Amino acid sequence: MDTRPRSTGSAGVLLTPHGTAAALVVDGRPPVPVVLPHDGGSDPDGAFRAVAAVAAAERVRLEVVTVDLSGLLLDAVLHGGPSTSPTVAVRVVPRASTDPALERSPAAAVERLVVQRFTVAGGHDLLGHELCPLDLSQLGLVCEAVRRGGFRHLAVAAAGSPARPDHERAVANAVQAAVPGCDITAGSEFGGQGLAAREATAVLNCSLRPLARTLVDGLEAAAARSLPGVALRVARGDGGHLLLARAAELPAAALGATDAMELRGAAHLAGQDDLRVVLRRPAGAVCGHVRRGLVVVRTGQLPGLGTELVVPTAALAPMPAADVGAEEVAPDRGAELTACVGAATSRPTSWLDEVALIDSTAELERVRDEVEQRATAMATANGARPGTAHVVDLSVVAVPYSPSGTVRIRVRVVGERDIAARPEPVRRAS
Amino acid sequence: MRAARAPAPGRDGSDAVQTIRAEDVTALYEGAKFYSPAVGDANRTWLTSWTSQLLDRNGPVVLAPPDALPPATTAISLCIIGSGFALADLPPAGDEFALAVERVARLQRVRFEAVYPLAAATVSAFAPVVAASQLGVPLVDADGMGRTYALIHHTSMHLAGVSPTPLVVQGPTGESVLVEVLTAPRADRVLRANVDTLGGWAALAAYPTTVGTLRRAALPGTMSRLLEVGRVLLAGGDADGLEQRLALVTGCRRIGRGRITGLEHLSRPTDVTIPTHPSSVVVDELSGRQRQLRLELRSEVVAVLADGELVAAAPDVVNLVDVSRGELATLDSLEPGDLVDVLVSPAGALWYSPEALAMVGPHSHGITLEHPGRR
Repeated sequence: MDTRPRSTGSAGVLLTPHGTAAALVVDGRPPVPVVLPHDGGSDPDGAFRAVAAVAAAERVRLEVVTVDLSGLLLDAVLHGGPSTSPTVAVRVVPRASTDPALERSPAAAVERLVVQRFTVAGGHDLLGHELCPLDLSQLGLVCEAVRRGGFRHLAVAAAGSPARPDHERAVANAVQAAVPGCDITAGSEFGGQGLAAREATAVLNCSLRPLARTLVDGLEAAAARSLPGVALRVARGDGGHLLLARAAELPAAALGATDAMELRGAAHLAGQDDLRVVLRRPAGAVCGHVRRGLVVVRTGQLPGLGTELVVPTAALAPMPAADVGAEEVAPDRGAELTACVGAATSRPTSWLDEVALIDSTAELERVRDEVEQRATAMATANGARPGTAHVVDLSVVAVPYSPSGTVRIRVRVVGERDIAARPEPVRRAS
Repeated sequence: MRAARAPAPGRDGSDAVQTIRAEDVTALYEGAKFYSPAVGDANRTWLTSWTSQLLDRNGPVVLAPPDALPPATTAISLCIIGSGFALADLPPAGDEFALAVERVARLQRVRFEAVYPLAAATVSAFAPVVAASQLGVPLVDADGMGRTYALIHHTSMHLAGVSPTPLVVQGPTGESVLVEVLTAPRADRVLRANVDTLGGWAALAAYPTTVGTLRRAALPGTMSRLLEVGRVLLAGGDADGLEQRLALVTGCRRIGRGRITGLEHLSRPTDVTIPTHPSSVVVDELSGRQRQLRLELRSEVVAVLADGELVAAAPDVVNLVDVSRGELATLDSLEPGDLVDVLVSPAGALWYSPEALAMVGPHSHGITLEHPGRR
């Protein structure tokens, strides 16, 4: 009997605290649900074995498997427990808060991750002008407290850091020197608008890194056993995906992926690039959109978290809303299978959200080109085949009540999957 | 064509003393967005969380109409001057608003017995609520704009001859600036460079006066109306129902429904008197006359042209409703392809006088067309 593969395909795997789901997708054919053992939990071994078996049975050569870890990550944040790491939060602003309510994160789930908070005088404005020199004596006290406390995880967020990350870097360098091996996340790694949102994202990322690394190690080991030679990717909250190594370092980018994957999967199953998707949720139906094949995203809140983040996630609204004159689908194959289809068909993406001061159309062109180039490089780092990453969304909006020429630039880039890049070595920052 | 007459504020009983409690804060935020859609949601959670905790800790803030307070009551207005984006990236330490009031009080050797909003809209609507809570004084249910305008002398108080100075801006850096000028329009020019240096935003305390003066010089009932609009917005539902309920409170009407087909920026030279670059949003109407609606933006929407005809302009309040989400669309969230309703609401009647139109009407934004209400 000829068992050689007749076609190529991809798979999406959803790992949640309550179990796993998977689907195989081959162009031009209906997706194939992968039946998984009921007691498989969130162990990728069983899922990958089942995916490999289905692919073999369907005579499909698997090229890429994209895994959605967001349920496991968010569950760790919302329900606490040992899988998150106690994190020191350092805020760099000109003055410490005079009200304890402003000192904390408004989100209890984020605050639970913070073992100690410090404020160091410093910071820049939106355009990168220094507002206050970094207080090196305060920084020294912070380093000493981190060392004495035996803390190993630290998130730092400074006012104005997307425009000028100098103070965040100075804090990170000083802490690293005082406490070698301390795992540090800086808010400027994510960019975006709003110090509270950036700080919350940095705290989540730092606290989730050890769990993300463990999960990624588990995926690699399981894939080596069951899916040798298959490229592995992790689903992003914006409906795209990224390399395992990047997911291990930037788990915050994976948060919220399941909603985005369900929207994407619904569009794929409907065979349409522009539609509204109705999602059934325990608290009631919500709707999201897919436009030009991309999930409509915003930086905002994840359900249950209680604070804004700077990583983009699916823009969902409660139903009912008016007839919007667009195709509308309500996935009828089950949310998990639909999300797996979305993951299987996802592509590498990147997103930047920045503020710049421009004084002429030529300057705007220069700034826009520079932002596009960086976003393109990020998409390539996330797994896009070199030369395929391209801008799919670009907006330049004047920032209200700001000096003339202050603009907000948002750019979204998508590339083609670089399956030739496998196997992928996992890098470690520390 | 002119926007419909605005229902009189206070139609829900706001001529009586009310309170603003922690549970009202989300309505405050939503209502503030209606009167200034320029504000985004980047700092929504911490701003509402902080204000709620203040009101929980200190008790509700008394919201009193000017007629409910003795005329000799000393009062000062508050707002956030500068950019909401800057505020989101550089949050207040928490004492900026109270310090700004105290610095004017020290200069004038008075104790301010009440505060009021300079502009009951955008994040500025939170400034007097926070200050009233921290200082333990009532909040006057009246403001100087009934929406937002770009410059601090664009107020009913200025039109009534009340000076904005002495004024103080207190920045998040801990620094402050006292401004005294010979003429009100100079104040904004003097302030702008200082605000940029303070970090892009600052707490502003200005227009020190008495409640007796506010009875004739301020727009009454605007805070209670803002809260009522916020409650309507929070009730949700589809866009059609939402707009019908909003119309009962604000007098708004829909100009058209369509898809955003273009966002244009930097299409014209910078106007040096008004912050931010001119930009435009193009909406193609889906039904009816299928007009092309062009929204001219400065910091707010200042004009709407339908197939080239001016159909709404400042001081009208122009909003966009995201039809698919059944909620207000903030100006920083717009994307091509969005289905939106364009709403226009009338500003207070005061703003349609020749003197006020010269100050805040379309000509002040470089649009050389007559306001639709004057043709």
